[in-house]
Amino acid sequence: MLELRNLSRHFGGVKAVDQLDLTVRRGEILGLIGPNGSGKSTTVNLITGVYLPTAGDVVFQGQDISKLAPHQRCELGLARTFQNIRLFGHLTVWQNLWAARMVRERGWAGFKERWLSGANAAREQAEELLVFGDLAHKRDMLAGNLAFGEQRRLELIRAAASGAELLLLDEPAAGMNAEEIEDLDNRIRSLRDQGRTILLIEHHMELVMEVCDRVAVLNFGRKIAEGTPAQVQQDAQVRAAYLGTDETAAT
Amino acid sequence: MDFYLGLAQVIGIHSLLGLSAWCVLHTGQVSLAQGGFFAIGAYTAGVLTSMWGWPLALALAVGALLAAAVAVAVGFPALRVKGLMLVVATTAFAEIVRLVFFNFTWRVQTPAGPVGPDGSLGFGGIRYFPANGWTTLEVCLLIWALVSAVLLVLWWLDRSRVGTLWRAVGEDELAAQSAGINLTAAKVSAFGIGGAIAGLAGGVFAHYATHIEHNNFSILLATFAIAYPIIGGLSSLAGTILAVIFIQGFLLEGLRFIGDWRSLMFGVLIVVVMLVRPGGFLNQSLGVSLGLRRGGSPNKAGSIGKGGTHA
Amino acid sequence: MDLMDFIDLTQSLIDGVLFGTTYSLIGIGFTLIFGVMHKINLSYAAASIGAAYLSLILVSLVPAPIVYLGAALLGGLLGWMVYLICFRYLPLNNPLAALMSTVGMLLAIEELISHMTMGMPQNYPALFASTNIEIGQFFLRGDLIFVFVLGCAAMVGLTLLLKRTRLGLATRAVAQQPVAAQLCGMGVNATNANTFIIAGFLGGTAGAMAGAAIGVLSPLMTLPLTVKGLVVTVIGGLGSIPGAIVAGLIVGGAENLFQFLRGVSERDIYVMLMLFAFLVFRPGGLFAAPGGRD
Repeated sequence: MLELRNLSRHFGGVKAVDQLDLTVRRGEILGLIGPNGSGKSTTVNLITGVYLPTAGDVVFQGQDISKLAPHQRCELGLARTFQNIRLFGHLTVWQNLWAARMVRERGWAGFKERWLSGANAAREQAEELLVFGDLAHKRDMLAGNLAFGEQRRLELIRAAASGAELLLLDEPAAGMNAEEIEDLDNRIRSLRDQGRTILLIEHHMELVMEVCDRVAVLNFGRKIAEGTPAQVQQDAQVRAAYLGTDETAAT
Repeated sequence: MDFYLGLAQVIGIHSLLGLSAWCVLHTGQVSLAQGGFFAIGAYTAGVLTSMWGWPLALALAVGALLAAAVAVAVGFPALRVKGLMLVVATTAFAEIVRLVFFNFTWRVQTPAGPVGPDGSLGFGGIRYFPANGWTTLEVCLLIWALVSAVLLVLWWLDRSRVGTLWRAVGEDELAAQSAGINLTAAKVSAFGIGGAIAGLAGGVFAHYATHIEHNNFSILLATFAIAYPIIGGLSSLAGTILAVIFIQGFLLEGLRFIGDWRSLMFGVLIVVVMLVRPGGFLNQSLGVSLGLRRGGSPNKAGSIGKGGTHA
Repeated sequence: MDLMDFIDLTQSLIDGVLFGTTYSLIGIGFTLIFGVMHKINLSYAAASIGAAYLSLILVSLVPAPIVYLGAALLGGLLGWMVYLICFRYLPLNNPLAALMSTVGMLLAIEELISHMTMGMPQNYPALFASTNIEIGQFFLRGDLIFVFVLGCAAMVGLTLLLKRTRLGLATRAVAQQPVAAQLCGMGVNATNANTFIIAGFLGGTAGAMAGAAIGVLSPLMTLPLTVKGLVVTVIGGLGSIPGAIVAGLIVGGAENLFQFLRGVSERDIYVMLMLFAFLVFRPGGLFAAPGGRD
């Protein structure tokens, strides 16, 4: 569904992402991990269009999107959440969803959906997501006033509200306790079972190993391992990246 | 009585200016270009009625439309930059407009003598109102009818999907983009609508003042225009109107008490208001983080968190 | 055009570039404050002219160079006051409020000047006004050369200050990472205040230079100087001091060039158009501050 081909992004002399080849298959949950500074966030920004690649391509559903603007990529079915929450703080929960929903209501198809099948179809889907996120009772609350966990849920359903087929989740578990992480685990699975594909960037190893079908590991902008969670855990290079080699390992 | 009607007229026109700035500020852009659109509307409407004999309604409409068209044309390149650069770009645009009109001469012969813009001498003889027997009261009512109409339109827009889109863009551009919102379309549309309102205000101003010149359209006017929504509180339309009433009332009434010093007091007043109530009168300020950062990088949602900013 | 015209053109250009150091200083001031506070101080140019006005008090008491120094020092003082009034006590996440506050300040200063002087332009002492250096067909006006040299000295002084002193280091640190700088023991408020004082010092110098080059001070100078200063800041690149220096010279030269070609009343149109050209083709400015974003 998503292919990164020989993707590179340099900032001056720093190669944040270096000749990265990555494939995300339809319907899977792919984890992207790596030590800090390994290029995970840069990769997400390259996929969503915040950065343009120095070299290489980003191909989504067979279409080269390397040069498209972020909102155009969202229209094609790509959505993301942010590491530090970026909600529209002074809009209500419902309005946050609605703002994302509007990308589906453009053009002729959008016109039909809004006026002919009734605004209901779009509304229904947004309402469903609201329930899914356990935020129905807070729909008129300003997003900035929600509790932290609720804000994270809103980020999640807002990304889903844009009708995206591929969701990029950027460290959604940051700052969560064990209970919340388990909740997140279930939600991610549900989102996938509803027909989406998920690319999960995370530091919480337990979550990654639990929920992901496959995992890719980055270090210094390059992919050093790829496979099932079990395979990756055994990989020598991955261990070296995280734990250091014998001379420097603490354990 | 005439004095108060005159005051009401000025308040009305400045309200329109303030509302025009409100649109643009809502999407998080600081624009000092409203003076330029005001000028375009003024000269266009003036030319149409006094030189070509058009009816007022049509002339005002065309003035507003032309201003909107220019706003959209200028908006596309200008709105690609943010923060300080946008301030400077819009300032530069407004200055260009002012200077163009400063050098603009086009006169036609009418039975009453030559009429038309005359370069640095300005554009006099816009005598539609007196020639057609409008009283001060009627002009005042017209102005306020327009203000009400614009208020209604903006209120409706704000409640509709357009308003949500504008505010989302104003809140966090990066998040808005990633949620599929076309930033340029949102910003340019706000800019265009703001331009139309300013153009409308300009057209009416030209007729009520009967003589306009480049000095009327300086950067200072633009700073007044953005002062109203900022001081009034960005999230409410009423706040802008209140701010206009307060400020213009102060300035004009103040003439009686402190005479020539009123502009100075006005400056001081602004400083004081910002210190005391930085979010504006009707608070609940839209956490408009304008991207006024080095290099124009996207803003961070700094005001988000438990509690938000509420009065 | 023939040779005479070409010589006149070049002469204009030279004069413009020499005067351009004034714009450079104003541009540097804007960029300094923006770089540190991430906010615009729209009253900067007005305060600079204000400082020059204040230095008029010294005119009958001391020779001209001391008057200029006086202007610079007073500029620093005014800068500190602006910081206190418009920036110190305003919430950080509300840049609109600070902007508006500086607008109010701009209005207040301009009106104050108008009132104190009844709107009459005041003569300002110039140095070397009657000295001219001839190089072939070109005259280099003594007073303009002096202004140029003074401007260069100020810029060199500033660079040394920023690069070689602890104050300069603190300023740059706070600009880049205010929280971390605080954790390293640097007082953010004190550093910001210092930045305003330094910028004010430069501004006062610029105000004095403008007065010296033109020969008079007038409240009508504040708005054009503000606009030109902002143009210089943007063309040079936000936050870049070398950019502001070069851009100031460019704007000074271009201004005179356009004036020579199209006359005074149209000159600024072309300067603004030049700004637009920069915004379209090189929005980061001449020397864009290192970003890393597209």
